[in-house]
Amino acid sequence: MRAPLPPVALLAALALAPAVIALPGVPMTLAGAGAWLGWLGSGLIAASLLLMVREPAFAAWFGDLERMYRWHHGMGTLGYAVLLAHPVVLAAASLPEDPAAAWRVLSPAAQSWHTLLAWLALLALMAGLAATFAVRLPYSLWRSLHAMLGIGVLLGLVHTLAIDGVSAKSMLVVAAAVIALGWRATRADRGGGARPYEVSAVQHPAPLTTEVTLRPLAAPITVAPGQFVMAAFFDGPHFRGCGEYHPYTVSAVAPGGTLALGIKALGDCTRNIQSIKTGVAARVQGAYGSFLVDRAEAPELWIAAGIGVTPFLALLRTQPVTRPTDFFYAFRSADSAPYLAELDGLGAAQPHLHTHFLAMQEDTSPLCALLAGVHDLTDREVYMCGPPPLIDAVGDWLRRRGVPPQHIHYERFDFR
Amino acid sequence: MMKRIYIGSTIAFWIAVTAIWAGSLLAPPGQRAVAQSPEPSYTLQEVAAHASAEDCWMAIGAEVYDLTAYLPHHPTPPTVIAPSCGTDATAAYNTKNRGRPHSPYAASLLEKYRIGRLEQAPTP
Repeated sequence: MRAPLPPVALLAALALAPAVIALPGVPMTLAGAGAWLGWLGSGLIAASLLLMVREPAFAAWFGDLERMYRWHHGMGTLGYAVLLAHPVVLAAASLPEDPAAAWRVLSPAAQSWHTLLAWLALLALMAGLAATFAVRLPYSLWRSLHAMLGIGVLLGLVHTLAIDGVSAKSMLVVAAAVIALGWRATRADRGGGARPYEVSAVQHPAPLTTEVTLRPLAAPITVAPGQFVMAAFFDGPHFRGCGEYHPYTVSAVAPGGTLALGIKALGDCTRNIQSIKTGVAARVQGAYGSFLVDRAEAPELWIAAGIGVTPFLALLRTQPVTRPTDFFYAFRSADSAPYLAELDGLGAAQPHLHTHFLAMQEDTSPLCALLAGVHDLTDREVYMCGPPPLIDAVGDWLRRRGVPPQHIHYERFDFR
Repeated sequence: MMKRIYIGSTIAFWIAVTAIWAGSLLAPPGQRAVAQSPEPSYTLQEVAAHASAEDCWMAIGAEVYDLTAYLPHHPTPPTVIAPSCGTDATAAYNTKNRGRPHSPYAASLLEKYRIGRLEQAPTP
């Protein structure tokens, strides 16, 4: 699950460049260290911003989008922590001689407008990151609070320019941040990098799940079973789309670029999509992810929960299973389980595929009890897709049973 | 892990900020004045006697600074700053680049090199 070395090395070089450029001019004092931390934090934040562009080729270079976003979160959080230390160390340098002067370094009332800007930037980053970690917030509120991070970055850039003016290090930070924010806003959030599609069919495989088939109106994206796309739905006949880009796993890939998405009602936008009609305009960006792509030639164990069944379904719809495969599909009730009848039929028709269906709630012990009966469990390549608590619990159980961690592949539903 | 770094660094930040603020309130008033009393004062003529990079005093605002030890660490080459040695450099300090003043960080550095007050010339 590690990211490849070249993009990580490039990213580290960019993150450290402002601090390295600043180093010769920084006195070897505590105050100097405080100033230098500002450049280190700015570099980390700027590099992290470049990882939020949702460009499929860049994501593929990094391994996949989820891995790239993990690095984005890691570098951003680290940069935030360093930026918090920056004013504290600056102030601490004056503390032994004059505590009042130390406070004047921090006080937004005692300093100039760019100190006030720095305070606003830090508070915006604080609020934005708090929202990022509060995954239970409603999506629309989460999205608004997450945007505070962008405001914090912009305020921080103005502070940097006010302090340092036009210099190599300040221009590096500003250029990286402006390019990343601009790229994300135009290519991803506004759909500049997305391809046009049209809803050509709508089915309802379960009460709260809709399968939308999308026909390309121009050159289609390249997508494989197991991958996901970012898609937005707009207005159409008797339907008003929310126009937001959300991740959806493909449930079918057909020649000619037509693809299908299995969409469960999980929030306002996806609830609205349950009433979508044919003819609605859509835009699709991707594809992303490497789940079920480039699999080793070995017996497999598939574990799906709820709408997590879609990547496996896409694979089964595309090609027959050619290696011994046990497929465990868990759901809350048979009535609410999408694609259950179709999977039952596919299991009966394919000699290498053994399907096991299980109605269960949060407790994963019934599923683990069934998994304990799988022949040659430790020799299997395991693929799991479902809610994070299930992935974590079953993943721990598999490792305790001796399945090597490198044999366990999963797709979590916590992508925002 | 990232959540822990966020929570830990945020709490540490507010504790440090609160401690520095409390420290400024608890510090005895006039601590600096007592420690440095009686404070020396210098005229511009006296400042002008230290007009080289090897012995560099400057008047900035109402204060006088001995910046000799700092010049090698200044980001700008000494040849740019040396002409300000021995002078009232207030204007140069406040407009270091296209009218932009030095930063609070620079102000905090400057404090360390302060040697006294600038004695105003008597009004004729």
